[in-house]
Amino acid sequence: MNVGARRMTAVNADEAAFETLFSAEYGRVVGIANRVLADAHEAEDVAQEVFIDFHRLHSASADYAPAWLHRAAAHESLNRLRGARRRQKRELAQAVEEADKTLDPQKQVEMAEDRRRVREALGRMAPKPAAVLVLRASGLSYAEVAQALGVGIGQIGTLLRRAEETLRKEVTRGTSN
Amino acid sequence: MAHLTDGTLRRMVDDTEASTAADSAHLDGCADCKDRYDAIADDARSIATLLSAPEVKVDVAAAYSRVMRAPKAQPALGLIRLPFLRPVARPMKLAFVAAVAAAAVMVVAFAAGGFFFQPTKVQPVPITLSDLQALSQLGEYGTLTWTKEPSLQVTRTATDAASVSGLQPPAVSKLPTGVSSTVTYGAMSKAEATFTFSAAKAAAAAAASGKTLPTMPASMDGATLTITIGPAVGEIYGNFSQPSSANATAINLPQLIIAKSVSPTVSSTQVDAKTLEEYIVSLPGISDELKKTISAIGDPATTLFIPVPVEYGTSKTVTVQGVDGVALGDNTGVGSAVVWVKDGHVYAVAGSIKQSDAIEIANNLK
Repeated sequence: MNVGARRMTAVNADEAAFETLFSAEYGRVVGIANRVLADAHEAEDVAQEVFIDFHRLHSASADYAPAWLHRAAAHESLNRLRGARRRQKRELAQAVEEADKTLDPQKQVEMAEDRRRVREALGRMAPKPAAVLVLRASGLSYAEVAQALGVGIGQIGTLLRRAEETLRKEVTRGTSN
Repeated sequence: MAHLTDGTLRRMVDDTEASTAADSAHLDGCADCKDRYDAIADDARSIATLLSAPEVKVDVAAAYSRVMRAPKAQPALGLIRLPFLRPVARPMKLAFVAAVAAAAVMVVAFAAGGFFFQPTKVQPVPITLSDLQALSQLGEYGTLTWTKEPSLQVTRTATDAASVSGLQPPAVSKLPTGVSSTVTYGAMSKAEATFTFSAAKAAAAAAASGKTLPTMPASMDGATLTITIGPAVGEIYGNFSQPSSANATAINLPQLIIAKSVSPTVSSTQVDAKTLEEYIVSLPGISDELKKTISAIGDPATTLFIPVPVEYGTSKTVTVQGVDGVALGDNTGVGSAVVWVKDGHVYAVAGSIKQSDAIEIANNLK
């Protein structure tokens, strides 16, 4: 094989590794972002951004690839949630009078309202506990959550329990306001 | 036995298999812990409901092609991604290659040095994403052939690295706080490649991408650039041991990389520096800023260009070991780096450290 052909093989091998990683992890990365944002379109947007960032800087065959993607998905979507929360706050402040008069009793609207409130509460939490909740709720194992966040697996139970208590308090705080 | 902790109980809710026999026995016999277990389990269930979201149906193939079409996902630096930069399974290998390549190979993409290039100083060159894409096309305007392929070895000791490369790895006098003292050495033998420009290949590449290119000057068709890189040595600080399942550690990226390489050289036949420089700046996509910078550089034959992506990094000139060097700060939080040329060698200090630490390490290298 000449050098050019070998180069092409190496390039193809790298692209093949990235494609394999993408196929294995894309659904999970979207799932993590969707858990935070509850918005399919935005979740895919986050997932694609995360993969592009990864591909630009890292080798797809790196051992840490899945953990990197999971963590980046959680952080990027939580960041966006905080951005969206700020936007919503502004919009709400402007439209607070109207909102009180136009409460819709239908179940769909209630569910949407619940989701919005939980996401707001999630956005008020510190990044690490929020990420623990989101990664675990997205179906990652304790070992996977530990790897994504760079903590020992033995700490996950405690972190998760504390994060659940915090989220509950934040949701209650949001409702009483 | 003391009562079970909330954390232990929480894990038992998710995975009864994960608990020890003693913990399970305690739970079975302790009314207090059983009550707490029930409360924690209830809480976990209601939080799971709160965090539920409508499932997203994804089209992985369509998403993959969207990601591959995104400019940032394209190989960033064309020629710079030479075969030996491709794909390396272990991050430390990659990191070492990146450090050596950053110091030595970057020059290839610019190759504006002309007849004989051997840098004695460094100069940051701000480049944009569109510059990178334009420059990366250059790789398709000819044929790259390794006359001496680089071989890269990871060694355990400085002595081994020195015997492979013929260069003594620089010694660090003091590591910044937080940087692991676990060190791995890398050595690269001298490598030599030639790049032969081809007007026919350039035309074909341009046609394939649907672009109109400036005509390649007649003197460039068939001209060769001969590039030598290394030998080089490097040392990588950071603990790369595999995270065990029992105690997964943080992602193992190198914390500090120090590299030393014999200055790269580029010599060319047929084509002079000016012609090559004019052709490169005439490529579509090259920003005015890069054109200006390249034109302003007085003596390109002795200057090692350090490309600084404007979206991601900033740079400044600093004095290192009595010579001018370039310090790169990174806005993305990835880290900082210092590069300088002294006595025929290119040095680089890079890592996830503060810029002031990088400069201090650089100044104290022995």
